[in-house]
Amino acid sequence: MRRHRTSVRNVLWVVLTAALVLGGLAPARSQEAVTLRFSNWHFVETVWGRSLREAINIFESRNPGIKIVPEPISYGEKEARYQTECAARRMPDVVKLHNFSLTMFFEMGCAADLTSFIQKEGPDFLKAWYDTPIKVMTYKGKIMAMPGDFMSMVLIYNREMLKAAGLNPDRPPKNWTEFLDYARRLTRDSDGDGRIDQWGFSIPASKNPGLPLRITPVVWSFGADFITPDGRSSALNTPEFRAAFNYIVELATAHKVVPPGVTTFGPGDVRTQMASGRVAMKIGSGWSYPIINDLNPKLNAYDTLEAAPVPVGKVQITAAWQSGCVMSPFTRYPEAAWKFIKFLSSKDMEKKFFEDNRVVSSRKDVNALPMVRTDKFSRVIVAELAHARLEPMIKEWPEIFDAFTTALHEAITGAKTPDRALADAHARVNAILARGR
Amino acid sequence: MMLGIRLPALRDRLMGYAFVAPALLLLLAVLAYPAGRSLRLSLSSGVRGSSGYSLVQYAELLRSDVFRQVLQNTALFVAASVALHLALGLALALTLNRPLFGRAAFRVLALLPWVVPDVVAGIVWKWILNPLYGLMNDLLFRAGLIAAPVEWLTAPGLVLPSVVLANVWRGFPFVMIILLAGLQSIPVELYEAAAIDGAGTVQRFRHVTLPGLRKVLIVALALDTIWEVRRFGLIQAMTAGGPGIMSEVLSTQVFKQYFQFFKFEYASAMAIAMTGLLLVVSLPYVRMIVRQE
Repeated sequence: MRRHRTSVRNVLWVVLTAALVLGGLAPARSQEAVTLRFSNWHFVETVWGRSLREAINIFESRNPGIKIVPEPISYGEKEARYQTECAARRMPDVVKLHNFSLTMFFEMGCAADLTSFIQKEGPDFLKAWYDTPIKVMTYKGKIMAMPGDFMSMVLIYNREMLKAAGLNPDRPPKNWTEFLDYARRLTRDSDGDGRIDQWGFSIPASKNPGLPLRITPVVWSFGADFITPDGRSSALNTPEFRAAFNYIVELATAHKVVPPGVTTFGPGDVRTQMASGRVAMKIGSGWSYPIINDLNPKLNAYDTLEAAPVPVGKVQITAAWQSGCVMSPFTRYPEAAWKFIKFLSSKDMEKKFFEDNRVVSSRKDVNALPMVRTDKFSRVIVAELAHARLEPMIKEWPEIFDAFTTALHEAITGAKTPDRALADAHARVNAILARGR
Repeated sequence: MMLGIRLPALRDRLMGYAFVAPALLLLLAVLAYPAGRSLRLSLSSGVRGSSGYSLVQYAELLRSDVFRQVLQNTALFVAASVALHLALGLALALTLNRPLFGRAAFRVLALLPWVVPDVVAGIVWKWILNPLYGLMNDLLFRAGLIAAPVEWLTAPGLVLPSVVLANVWRGFPFVMIILLAGLQSIPVELYEAAAIDGAGTVQRFRHVTLPGLRKVLIVALALDTIWEVRRFGLIQAMTAGGPGIMSEVLSTQVFKQYFQFFKFEYASAMAIAMTGLLLVVSLPYVRMIVRQE
C-alpha cells in the first residue's frame, strides 16, 4: 500500500516537473513562431490554388519564423465570413478582396492602415504601381490595402468554333450588330440530332458577384449608366439604358443565342460551357484561360481561345477588375503581416502570378515585361485598360445592381415585359438612393 | 437545530443552481445576447451618429414590395413543403409500420435524404434540374415527353414548385420517423377491438390511427413549420432566391440584406419579424408541452 502511494507520488512529481518545464518553454516558442492566417478565394481553384501555395512556400523559406496558414473560401461567401470574423475580432491576418468590397471593409473598420508601413519603405515605393489601383486602395487619405491584379474585361472566343461556322477567326465582332450576327451563326445543332447544342454566347446571369463585371461593359458601351453623374438618381429610364437592356434580354428571348437557363448560370457554369465546346463567346479576363484549360485540357485553351476588345457601341469602354490585399486591424503580428503583403505584391510574385494564372498586375514594371507585352491574351487586356472603368464604389451599389438583375431576370423569364421590369427597377433604385441621402 | 435542518436543503438548492448555471450562461451567451443585439440594431435608424431608438426599419419593411413578395413566397414554400412532408411522411410511416419484407432496409433507405446536408441537397437538385445537363430533362427527353428543355429553375411558374420538390425529398424522413414512432405507440388492442366492431380500413384509420397520432402530428407540424421557415442552404444553393425574387424567402432575404447589401439594421428588423412569425407558429406546440407538464 505504502509502495503504491510512493509510486503515485513519484508519478505526480514527474508530471509536475514536465508541466513546469514545458510551461517555461512555451512562451519562448511562441515568441519565435509567428503564424498568419491568409484567406483567399483562389485557394479553391486548382491552378491559382497551386500558385498561391508555391508562393507561400517561397515566403516561408525566406522567413523561417513566419508560418502562413491558407484559409480557402468561396468567392461569393467571403464578405459574409470576413464581416462576421471582423465583428468577432477574429478576421484572418491577411485577406484578398475585390474593388467594391474594399470600400465597404474600409468603412466598417475591417482593414488596418498600411500608410506607416509604406512610408517606411521609402518615398519611391509606390511608384511601381499605376495611379488608379493606388487610388482604389486609398480611403480618407490613408492607404488601407495593397493592389493585386488589375485587368480589363475582354471578349473571349473559340477560334475553332468560329472557323466551323464559316466566320473569320482573326476578325472577331467589332460592334454589337456584328456580335449578334456572329452569335446567331454560332448557335446551331452541331451533331444533327435536331436539337440546338451549341450557342454563340453565354453570361453568368444568376445573382452572383461575377455578373457586374461581365454585363457593365455592354451597358456602358451603349452610352448608358446605372445612376446619374451626380449619383442622386437612377438612370435606368434613359433611352440608352433601355436599348442596352433590350439588347441583352433579346439575346436570350428573341434570338436565343444563349443557352437555356441563363439566369441560373454562375461564372463556373459559363467556363464549363466554354470548356466543353458548347459556347463560343463569353466576356472574361486573364484568369479565364488557365481555368478553362484545367477544366478540359483537350480543348488546348491557350491555342483555341482568343481575346479581343469587347464590341463597341456608342462608346468604347469595358469594365476593370481590381483586387487588393487587406491586413486585419486585429492582427497580433502587423509587422509579419506587412512583410507577407509586401511579398505578395512584389514584382517577383506578380510576375509569377502572371505566368501561372495569366492575371495582369497593378504594377507597371510587371506589365512592361516582354512576356506580358507579347502574350496574346494579356496584350489585349493591358491595352483595354485604357478604356476600362471600375464599378461604382458606393455602398448602395450591390443593392442597385440587385434591382437591375431582378429586372433582367423578370424580362428574360417573361414574368414582366422589359419595359415594366425596367420601370420597377428604376423606381427601386431611386428609393435606394433617396434613403442614402 | 432549525439551521441544522435547513442548511442541507439550501445547500442542495444552491448546488442545483450551480449545476444549471453553466448551461444557463451558455444559453445567454449564444441566444439571448445575439437576439438582444439584433433587436437593438433593428430599432436603430441606420444613420451614422444618430442615437436613440426608432421604428424606421420596420416602417420600411411594411412599405417594401420586395418584402411582401418574400413573405408570400415564404408562406407558399412552407405551406407546400409541410403539407407534402406530412402526406408523404404519413403514407410511408403507415407502409413501414406493417409487416413487410426488408422493412429495416426500407426504413434506413427512407432516412437517407435526411442525412444529406442542406447545401449538398441543393447543389445535387440544381444539377438534376439543369436544363442542359440535368437528369430530369434527359429522362423526359428519352421518354418522349418533352421536345425542348424544361427550364425548371428559371420559368416563373416552375421555380418555386421545383424548390419545394427538392425540399420535400430532403425533409419527409423527419416527419416519417416521428409518425412511425407515434404509430408504434398506438395499442394493437384498439385496432383489434375496432375490427371486431366491424370497422373497415378507412374507419380504423379515421377513428383509431388519427386520434392516436394527434399529439405527434402537432409536434411534427410545429417543428417542421419552424424548420421550413428557417430553410436557407437548399434554396440558396439551388436558386439564390432567383430568378428575380421569384424563389426568395425570408432567410435568403435576411442574408442578402445583411451580408450583400450591408444593411445591418434593416436585415435585423427582418430577422426580428421572422422570429415573431416563428413564435406564433410554435404556439400550439408550446401550449401542448405546457399542458402536458
